[in-house]
Amino acid sequence: MSRFAIVNPGLLTTFQDLGRPEMLKYALSVSGAMDQTSVYLINLLLGNQETAAVLETTMVGLKLRALADGQIVVGGADQSLEINGRSAQMWTVLSVKEGDVIALTELHSGMRAYVGVTGGFEAPLILGSRSAYLRGSIGSAFKYGDEIRSFENKGGYWNTGKVLPSRFIPDRDMKKPFRVLPGSQMNYFSETGIQVFSTSSYTISPVSDRQGIRTDGPKVDRIKGPDIITDPTPMGSIQIPGSGVPIILHRDAQVTGGYAKIAILCKADIDRAGQLCPGDRIRFEFISRSEALFLLKKRNHMFEEARKALAVKNFKNR
Amino acid sequence: MKKKHHPLLRPLGEDSILVEFDAIVSWEINGKVRRLQHALEKKDIDGYKMALPAYRSLIVYFDPFKISDEKMLSRTRSALLESEEMEEPESRLFRLPTVYGGEYSPDAERVAELSGITAEKVIELSSNLKLPIYFLGYICSQAYMGGIPKELQAPRHKSPRPLVPGGSFGFGGPQANILAVDSPSGLNYVGRTFVKVFSTDRFPPTAFSPGDFVQCYGVDEKAAIEAGERPMEDFIEPICNS
Repeated sequence: MSRFAIVNPGLLTTFQDLGRPEMLKYALSVSGAMDQTSVYLINLLLGNQETAAVLETTMVGLKLRALADGQIVVGGADQSLEINGRSAQMWTVLSVKEGDVIALTELHSGMRAYVGVTGGFEAPLILGSRSAYLRGSIGSAFKYGDEIRSFENKGGYWNTGKVLPSRFIPDRDMKKPFRVLPGSQMNYFSETGIQVFSTSSYTISPVSDRQGIRTDGPKVDRIKGPDIITDPTPMGSIQIPGSGVPIILHRDAQVTGGYAKIAILCKADIDRAGQLCPGDRIRFEFISRSEALFLLKKRNHMFEEARKALAVKNFKNR
Repeated sequence: MKKKHHPLLRPLGEDSILVEFDAIVSWEINGKVRRLQHALEKKDIDGYKMALPAYRSLIVYFDPFKISDEKMLSRTRSALLESEEMEEPESRLFRLPTVYGGEYSPDAERVAELSGITAEKVIELSSNLKLPIYFLGYICSQAYMGGIPKELQAPRHKSPRPLVPGGSFGFGGPQANILAVDSPSGLNYVGRTFVKVFSTDRFPPTAFSPGDFVQCYGVDEKAAIEAGERPMEDFIEPICNS
């Protein structure tokens, strides 16, 4: 079992996993890691179950001290990673010894880094998930001095040094358009408004959070609204509130809302959106539903390929 | 004669279908939404995941790699036909012990002033209301209730209070809620129940279902706090005729 002390929690660090999709039925936000592709790959590298909890940290500043020997993988946003002041590789299974200090020192691109540990972090299982959902008072943000640990790991250090082949490192090029399908109230917007939405460049606003990725940019002209009779807000919904600029609803989004939604982000682009950082400039592009399904299939295929490439016979598992 | 409107059904995103009935907040229209949800739950459609109701719309989630959108649309249409013949499950009434007055009724005076009645009258009326649940939404299984009578329909605060304690019962216009967790809110709060209407220590996290009724009836502070020790199911009464 590995243990760590939080020496510096950075901007915001919480436990996350794949969230609570089943709880949507009871109108509880799904939550979970903002970039689940990264979490999936980290857990694959570590030989963990895909539901194992990781640390999600926002931008820079996270510093951990190992209180016992263990194995970690850091992935997600492209960061400078240091162990005891020496540079270390992301997307690689690293051995840490008691007393080692692990620090994320510089953010190069993306927004959220993930720290996985062999066995997964021992976080309380709440309604089927270990993800913190702060607005719902589920879990909490880490503070200086907190101690965390992994579940018992009997597997040994068989995979130390294992590296994620570069072809699987998620493409986080924010210059590529974010692909969308028509939203529930697309008819609330004028033709000019839709044109503006799909041709303009929007800058990610610093007030973005896990609930909504807010933007600054040209206003989207509407015919009706912005208020609607409260209706479902599926994840990825892009709403245009009174301010006229898009908000992408992400993992911690409310399950119903009262603003008109112009579009919905394609599933294949949700995790990339989870890495959007204030100041990033993005564009939206409407595609067809069949293209969106093709992209989703491609992503699932990539997961399958990564699983095959990283499969190692673990004799401890039956 | 009023023209019969057909609901609008269309795929939304890769994995859902949005069904929209007439664009009004009405218990009758919401009944169509709730009945369609029940009809879908009964059908056992391969690839169907869940359906979530709102006031006048229902979102139906499915696995797009198990069932095509065309097929899911047609199954939803047939569920719609079946739902027209369906009886809804019996409504239940949750009678939740609630404390009124003092710090628990921060907006009773405001509602009283706007309605031209006394704060005592506002509390008495509030305590007797049996409010229907249209759907669960927003965050943490929040029950969206309606049925606030005209004389209590005060508008929301212009700027929401930054933090209202969970369990607070209030209304704005015809709509009402009991806050599931401490939240910002612009509604007029007149009472507080300590019965946990949302809890992560139970499954499902709430016992409320769309179609149920809620009464926040007045008790003294001690009784209200004691009631908070009991599960919300303890306060269900079997039948309720709207």
